[in-house]
Amino acid sequence: MRFGGTAIAGVGQLRFDTYRDVPAVELARDAGLLALHDAGMTLADIDEVFVGYLGLQHQVGVKAVKELGLTGLPVTHIENASATGLFAFREAAWAVSSGRAEVAMALTFDKMTDVTGRGSTPSSMSRGAGRDQLDASILPAAFFALWAQRRMHDFGTRPETFAAIAAKNWNHGALNPLSHRQPDHTVTVEEVMASRMIADPLTAMMCCPADDGAAAVIVAGEDFVRRRFPDRRVVRCLSSAAQSEAYSPGHAFLGPVVGPPTMTRTTGLEAYDKAGVGPDEISLALCHDAFANEELEYYELLGFCGSGEGDKLVADGETSLGGHIPFNTDGGLIARGHPGGPTGVAMIHETVLQLRREAGVRQVEDARFGLVHCVGGGSVCTVNIFEGVD
Amino acid sequence: MARVPIADYFEVTEGDGAPARLRGSRCPACDEVFYPRRLVCAKCLHEGTDDVLLSTSGSLYTWTWVHVPLFAKTDAKVSEYAVGQVDLPEGPRVQAILMGAPGDFSIGMQLELGLETLRQDADGNDVVIYRFTPAQAGR
Repeated sequence: MRFGGTAIAGVGQLRFDTYRDVPAVELARDAGLLALHDAGMTLADIDEVFVGYLGLQHQVGVKAVKELGLTGLPVTHIENASATGLFAFREAAWAVSSGRAEVAMALTFDKMTDVTGRGSTPSSMSRGAGRDQLDASILPAAFFALWAQRRMHDFGTRPETFAAIAAKNWNHGALNPLSHRQPDHTVTVEEVMASRMIADPLTAMMCCPADDGAAAVIVAGEDFVRRRFPDRRVVRCLSSAAQSEAYSPGHAFLGPVVGPPTMTRTTGLEAYDKAGVGPDEISLALCHDAFANEELEYYELLGFCGSGEGDKLVADGETSLGGHIPFNTDGGLIARGHPGGPTGVAMIHETVLQLRREAGVRQVEDARFGLVHCVGGGSVCTVNIFEGVD
Repeated sequence: MARVPIADYFEVTEGDGAPARLRGSRCPACDEVFYPRRLVCAKCLHEGTDDVLLSTSGSLYTWTWVHVPLFAKTDAKVSEYAVGQVDLPEGPRVQAILMGAPGDFSIGMQLELGLETLRQDADGNDVVIYRFTPAQAGR
């Protein structure tokens, strides 16, 4: 969809980390307050909230909003796996664009460190639950390693290319105070390659961490935002495209985390078309780099180079800060972290800082258009394009 | 004591060395074949499909060697294992655990369906799950 006249009023993100003793609703509260402060608002200014999380019980979203106040506003839960945050944002932007809300918020949070320790329960071992058991029988890392192996077979990609992408994102994370992983030295390809093997060829340092966190974004009309902040660059929401899987021969129904990578291509094409912007005009991109080889695929699928040319883009450093098209300038899922629900909103947070030109040492020069991409298990894909203007 | 499948996607044919077979669906309208079984054709949306027993061998599309235990299979005895996607001649791509050592696999090779006993149920039956094994390695 194309969003007429909508803009970002405020963003907030807690640093992703392990917050064992902090209730999820308090993580949500603190990110929500950051976004409200950034927008110069209280909950009284918000007409509607979309909450997103993966790993918590139902109803928690409404309780999280109560931590910000009880104004009676409508609250709706959104869940779409790793893409949850972006889908919550998309609904908030659509609520404003449609005119039903003047100001809407996406409030996202998760505690993945609780989820990963859970594993399967004895009840899931009973006969009849076989489908669920088979469905969940491999790790996400193993699934994306299947992509990586096929990539190496088809294009001769070397594991060192995946390591270079991971090292880049670790080093971007070192420049971001909100990044979970904060390396105290320059991470090298050799270091990434030497870390523990998880699923061949993916090593531990090519994989995102499990973490906790929260992030929020507030959307309003562009005129509304300009009136509140006449001296701040405005970040427009230009377009949002979203898909679930379309059937194609060779579709594996049982077991895969996400469907064929080509879903990113068709979703990206729609987002570009609706925004009236092409890949050549994009200043920076944030993508679902839960595993380093994914980022390589998305360079090509999002149109930043031709099929099989992503390896050269990495070798030339074009996707690092200072390169032609910097990817995951905040460290990406690999360094900044991937709590689940708030991941996509953290991506928007970084994009907004960059397009406002408030990203400090990570600032992409003359940043104007930002692209934000996520896939989610099930599976789904969304691509969103933003523009920063004076 | 019999062998019983953990899920109804496959049937265990006892006697005469008959192999396990995966059960899929064929769309009577467009002939597309799916695994596992489904009611609505994913290609043409026709309602109602016919059961079809699928071939017991296929071509390895991709695979990986996983260095951490299965997290869903709580009774796993293995610390490392292979997983892959196998293209069956009828069309379906099946993702499954592979039996063998890291050096046993290469993309494009032929694999055969086999069974592994997971545990015994209350009646003393062996509960089995399917795996794919390199064709030349035998079983």
